[in-house]
Amino acid sequence: MKLELHKVKVTGVQWGPVTELRNGVLTVNKAELLAKVSGDERLASLDADLALPGEKTRIVPVKDVVEPRCKLEGKNEVFPGFIGDVESVGMGKTLVLDGAAVVTCGKIVGFQEGIVDMSGPGAQYTPFSQTNNVVLIFTPAEGLERHDYEEAGRLAGFKAAHYLASAVKNSVKADVVETFDFPTLAQAMTAHPGLPKVAYLYMLQTQGLLHDTYVYGVDAKRIIPTLICPTEVMDGAIVSGNCVSACDKNSTYSHLNNPVIRALYERHGKDYNFVGCIITNENVTLADKKRSSSYATKLAKMLGVDGMVITEEGFGNPDTDLIMNCRKAETLGIKTVLVTDEYAGRDGASQSLADACKEADALVTGGNANEMILLPPMDKVIGFPDFANVIAGGFQGSLHEDGAILVELQAITGATSELGYSKISAYTM
Amino acid sequence: MAERPEVFTNNAYLARRVAGECRFVEGSAFDVLVALRDRIHSGARLLTHPLCGNLRPYQQPFRSALLAPPSEGEPLSVCPSSLALVEEALAVYRSCQGRWALPGKIPAAVEEDYACVDAALMQDSLERHGLWRGAC
Repeated sequence: MKLELHKVKVTGVQWGPVTELRNGVLTVNKAELLAKVSGDERLASLDADLALPGEKTRIVPVKDVVEPRCKLEGKNEVFPGFIGDVESVGMGKTLVLDGAAVVTCGKIVGFQEGIVDMSGPGAQYTPFSQTNNVVLIFTPAEGLERHDYEEAGRLAGFKAAHYLASAVKNSVKADVVETFDFPTLAQAMTAHPGLPKVAYLYMLQTQGLLHDTYVYGVDAKRIIPTLICPTEVMDGAIVSGNCVSACDKNSTYSHLNNPVIRALYERHGKDYNFVGCIITNENVTLADKKRSSSYATKLAKMLGVDGMVITEEGFGNPDTDLIMNCRKAETLGIKTVLVTDEYAGRDGASQSLADACKEADALVTGGNANEMILLPPMDKVIGFPDFANVIAGGFQGSLHEDGAILVELQAITGATSELGYSKISAYTM
Repeated sequence: MAERPEVFTNNAYLARRVAGECRFVEGSAFDVLVALRDRIHSGARLLTHPLCGNLRPYQQPFRSALLAPPSEGEPLSVCPSSLALVEEALAVYRSCQGRWALPGKIPAAVEEDYACVDAALMQDSLERHGLWRGAC
């Protein structure tokens, strides 16, 4: 399967009479944007605002972040099962507005979601302080049930992202074209003799309300582990319905730009033979955990891989899935590298994960989510700032009188991403 | 036929939605975990993870779990994996002792949201065992 990502660089965003992209500046007709995403009677109000890198602006509480994309060539559309039909994606040509993002903002429940600061110390921790953001702010119809509110907000984000890309697709030329090809299994098995075969085990958050992920529109808690082509992920086959634990939830933007997949491509054919991507879930019942971990690692064994990268989403309950996946893969003779983050207490001295095993001896951390940070007041706040007191990583008294917020990194969207789509890194002293 | 699973919770919102008997724990989420551990020592085994939900002890005041009761007529045996899971969950709570969110100690509207999410995460498991009677 071959996919071309036609990337057009976006260096600014502004309101204007016509939605267009000129000299890197995305101009958006606000009324047209709102008309495209409105019409869902579940939302009582829907508004939009802009947030640019360097501005003294805070967005809170962030629900999801979506990169504007649409198909230029190929069957179907991006975000299959939501915007596109359910036919397969990951082939043809896709337009990417690189540097732009749609940020959805709504108070689905009185806690959680996240903070994106466009400048100041908090901006150092979220990749979405560097994107030119079109922010959707929505409130629910009276009496709307929480599941429906979450779904309505999620769909609004996809519609807006698809609209922005579609509106400019006939008048832009790509600055960069990236080509990603993925061979058939028959070809992959015999390619690059002498190099170790490597797979990616992609864990998806699927515990329930506010903890869900969708694959081709299917609630991923209902799947058994299966293979997916990495190019399908780049076309939005996996989208987020997860708005819990802002720091390490995988936003739809992070799925689209999954850095583990990109890294596996970069060294493919040089250091290893990247032969497959397996998606699995993180459910509540122990029977589901056993079934999914056994099935996912069995698929890896059927691919004959020597090594596997495993990424987690979330913490606590999913730590058990992570360790089950690790132990079972290692027992089958597959070397593993785990990618997670840590909840090691504010001093970093507590045990980082709720589960562990001796086979988990190669692990990459996204950072300690319990680390404290003081976010200074901003000139402008988009959204609902009063919820900083009850946001993940916040506590009673988090919101100071001057508008500053004292929180753990857990409160900042994408701060400790377990896909590695974050700004925290390390170097060898 | 397998015996009816036991529901342990300190979440009244969930308890009202359980068909039939529920082991309601008056107290904190930590107290629920202690009650689970006691029951595991009596031969029950966990059917759901004791830390479901991506919510820390200083956020979520509620905990709920499903247990399979000990088999009648069988000699007592303690399920080591269930015991390990509940001990690990207790360790997570101990790591932030003093900061726990407690029922009745947070704003009512927020507490209701936490109660709803706790129940929603248990709903699928309860439905599988015919123990869910009300929509969340």
